[in-house]
Amino acid sequence: MLGALFSPDLSPAYLAALAGPIAETLALTLAAVSVAVVAGTLLALASALDAWPGRMLTSVGTALRAVPDLTLAVLCVVLFGLGAGAALVALALYYTASAAKAFAGLLAAVPRAPVRALAGTGAGGAVQALWGLLPLAAPQMTAYGTFVFECAFRAAVVVGAVGGGGIGAELVGSLAAFDLPRASTCIIVTVALALLLERGALFVRMHPRAIAALLALGLALAIAWWPRILPGDHGLRAASGLAAPYLPAEQWRALPRLLAETFAMAAGATLLAAVLALPLAFACSRTASAPALRLISRIGAAVLRAMPEAVWALVLVLWLGIGPAVGAAALFLHSLGALVRLFADTIDAAEPTARRAVLRTGAGRATAALYGALPLAAGALGTHAAFRFDWNLRMATVLGLIGAGGIGQELYEAQQLMHYGELSAWLLVTAAMLIGTERAVAALTGAWRKRVGVEPTRDWLTAPPGFEVRTRHRARFSSIHAAAVPSAPSR
Amino acid sequence: MGVLVLCVALAACSPGDEPSPGAEQGLLRIGMIPDAGATQAAADDKRLLQEMLASRLGRPVEVIVTTNYAATVEALGNGSVDIAYLGGLTFVRAHNAFGAVPLVQRDIDRAFHSAFIARRESGIDGLDDLAGRSMCFGDVNSTSGHLMPRFELDEAGVGETLGPARNTGSHPATAAAVASGACDAGVLDETVWAKLVADGAIDPQEVAVFHTSAPFADYVWAARPGVPAADRESFSRALLELRRGRDDAVLDVLRGDRYVRANAGDYAAVEATARKLKLL
Repeated sequence: MLGALFSPDLSPAYLAALAGPIAETLALTLAAVSVAVVAGTLLALASALDAWPGRMLTSVGTALRAVPDLTLAVLCVVLFGLGAGAALVALALYYTASAAKAFAGLLAAVPRAPVRALAGTGAGGAVQALWGLLPLAAPQMTAYGTFVFECAFRAAVVVGAVGGGGIGAELVGSLAAFDLPRASTCIIVTVALALLLERGALFVRMHPRAIAALLALGLALAIAWWPRILPGDHGLRAASGLAAPYLPAEQWRALPRLLAETFAMAAGATLLAAVLALPLAFACSRTASAPALRLISRIGAAVLRAMPEAVWALVLVLWLGIGPAVGAAALFLHSLGALVRLFADTIDAAEPTARRAVLRTGAGRATAALYGALPLAAGALGTHAAFRFDWNLRMATVLGLIGAGGIGQELYEAQQLMHYGELSAWLLVTAAMLIGTERAVAALTGAWRKRVGVEPTRDWLTAPPGFEVRTRHRARFSSIHAAAVPSAPSR
Repeated sequence: MGVLVLCVALAACSPGDEPSPGAEQGLLRIGMIPDAGATQAAADDKRLLQEMLASRLGRPVEVIVTTNYAATVEALGNGSVDIAYLGGLTFVRAHNAFGAVPLVQRDIDRAFHSAFIARRESGIDGLDDLAGRSMCFGDVNSTSGHLMPRFELDEAGVGETLGPARNTGSHPATAAAVASGACDAGVLDETVWAKLVADGAIDPQEVAVFHTSAPFADYVWAARPGVPAADRESFSRALLELRRGRDDAVLDVLRGDRYVRANAGDYAAVEATARKLKLL
């Protein structure tokens, strides 16, 4: 029956029927990202200038980013009813929090002299922000925005499955019903769109003027779709349930096991992906690999990471049956795709003197990269792997959707059974787990950097080692790399 | 919770002049649990039902098949649909939470059964053989695909010894999971099983029913309390008037022959069972 996965339903009728869901997913992504970019910019500017709402909303954002986007969508369905509106609010909230955080980081790195000069003239906060801060950080913010778009598309596919619409609902529905020909059509469409978006993002980065048009369109869509709180007290009832977190005794007893299951899923997947990604990264590397090999491995990695983890999990259920193994395998495949690309670019971006020296001894390109670039890149590679673990932990909770076990499954079932008190308790557990791990990972990577003795070239998120993209204005800035997509917006 | 507060705050700033869902003049929104899946294929099936209802009620009707059972209940609760097709457990949930009003059901829903299935080669011939074997259930909120079978397994003393269990999300998915070998055994709605066999989607030579459950009350059409009595009545009549020989196409989609009025009191046993299993 797996053969059916390789014989997609390409009938004109089905493809025509998919046009609507595809358009919905793309429009939803654009609308959510537009809201996130605009709101995120405002929040980041406010916090950069120490205006009061910035600080407060930044801490709300930290809490928000600890809630998986899928769970956020579920909560929004409770409040706003079914449809694109709920998914829109969920994605917009999640990515506003991410963008605000990232933008604040970018703005903090900007030289402050222009702001001080403007302040000296007596200019107000808005003027300082608009003329003193924004122009300096704009290129990096553009890169980050296009990059969030790719992420949000993947999230929209998964969130659509719950919010009730788009290609995600069709894909998850077809897979769940074992309608493999149609499921494989949806997978092909999703992967193709994700790859196209990576290209499109590069184009937009080089043509910043397209951004204004896209933002306007996105905001118009968001206004048209933004849902109203539904009348009646249904949402209130849900909210009051959520306000009283509660876990029955047997769930408390199960907690250590569930936490261990979630950690094991994320750790196993990350470790295996990191180990395998290293040799594959050499195949993908521009400095170490042959063109044909590079092309093949780049495409392979792109396909692996184009499928969201939850979709991988649904496909893998066909082979692996039930349980945490499916979750771990799904996290592994997506992580492999992301890490290969990230590792390859890190190796390529290493300071070239040592590599050139090895090349001059008559060594081959691969040898030169191995001895000349890898030791220099080790610190950054470790950081990437550590943050990937952090991301996988977050994703492990989303995989509860397909019954992969751990905290995620309990969270999903509590929501399905409308046990709001339990749902809220599991959300708190998830948030505590994620924030705790984030802190621990940050501390560990700090120690690792010191021990390896090599600072990664720049802060991993705001400017990861990667392409130098030339803009029309000939300004050079480091783009946020496509492969960093899944991890970046979460912080 | 901060998230909800923020959701509320953001939504409160949204344009207020849009019509609220469901209040659109004349449009009747019908929600359905995805007992037969929620894909394009399922939507095609439901189009026939939508056309029948629109012509009999003389107003536009929109049939929305949600992606999971809980979503239908939430949608009925917050008014994004007016009338919903629910299972026994989802009805009890909606009735207890916000007073969903039972309307009509198929005659067979008053004494419905779950079909326990396995591949013939699996050597599973009765509930006792399930110890240590993997088992597929439908949606966690399904009455015939999860609640009542769980109860029956517990009564038979095999609930604790069962191998890994999974909720597939819908009845056809359970059948497909068993046929493919992803699960050793599965349990589903008896009418969905009959339809899958009749349509040739499942080969009865390979997968067979090894046990049929005791009867229980299941599917029912229910309205949210805000729907006017006249609208409820005209909807009920549309289904009560369906006849074999005249409305076969629609009845086949609904997997039934005849509709009868439904009573909330018939679900006391389902409710008690759900409480025992802590699903309510």
